[in-house]
Amino acid sequence: MGVTETLEIFPLKILRDLILLHFLRIPTRPGATRPLFDLLERHNVPVKFVLEGCAGDFNRDLIICIANDAFSRLEPELKEVTTRMQAQALELRRSVAVVRVLGAHFDIRPGTSGLLFGALEQAGITVFSIATTITSSMCVIPDDQVAAAERVIGRTFDIPKKK
Amino acid sequence: MDKQSKTLEIMRRIGAPKPERIRITGILQSPELASLTLLLPGGNSDSTASVLKLFGTHSINIRFINKYEDSAGNTSLCLCVDAEFFNKAVELLDVNEKSLGIRDFMYHPRVKVISIYPHKERPRIAERLLTTLRMTGIDILSLNNASSVISCVLNAEDVEKAITCLGDAFELP
Repeated sequence: MGVTETLEIFPLKILRDLILLHFLRIPTRPGATRPLFDLLERHNVPVKFVLEGCAGDFNRDLIICIANDAFSRLEPELKEVTTRMQAQALELRRSVAVVRVLGAHFDIRPGTSGLLFGALEQAGITVFSIATTITSSMCVIPDDQVAAAERVIGRTFDIPKKK
Repeated sequence: MDKQSKTLEIMRRIGAPKPERIRITGILQSPELASLTLLLPGGNSDSTASVLKLFGTHSINIRFINKYEDSAGNTSLCLCVDAEFFNKAVELLDVNEKSLGIRDFMYHPRVKVISIYPHKERPRIAERLLTTLRMTGIDILSLNNASSVISCVLNAEDVEKAITCLGDAFELP
């Protein structure tokens, strides 16, 4: 059976006012993403969320989330970077947030991710992207749905109050 | 020889200056897992939660999840489950293919997740990880960050080679 008891997790970490950058169909070759990460490094921009997946035909999709204010510093160079990466396109999604759920032990408790994302879906929260590894899960949602997501996760898990 | 192999061959022949090693605390590797990548409907018909709930109901443990919407508007969902549950997971997906709206399905029955920590949101950690593995000819099936680690899914037979080349690219205590 899946999870039955209410699991205790750490207080949620929520990163708001972010922008999602989706680089589509980058050729799978060594160093293909270097122009982007060099740009981020040069401007001292932390990567709040990163995900890479298979886009078929030896291509990859790359998604990152960075702070909105940092994006304005990068914007003038992004077109050139996208070209150098040979990405087919760059899509932007503004006003997103990353919610981190830590401590639910996704790695050893079957049903935990179903519980979390089932509850979010039932509440009508849009989940653009999910990255889950070991004990932690991060999801990208619209910034204006953060309060609703917090309520849903608070009902689903036992979250100690921040001291 | 495909395009990627040609690029690799040229880069190996020319040689590249060895960049300074990046200090990290450790490299973790998971037990043997199986990866399943599903193409699901996007938008309001996204059945990700149903897939996760289905696996949970059948006590299938999911150790890695990557989900995003691809260029065609489909949901790409990559899951890694404990290797012993691979057959059960495939069977469940087969039986529920229609109700879940599965459009395409790929799998790798023997994979491992390699995690580097701490990530600390540093762009050059992600870049070094991707470039080092690809330069060595290792296929990265999926990659994400969660909390303080950055993780990638590799075929199990590539893991030893991956750990060796990452040991050259990163400085461990």
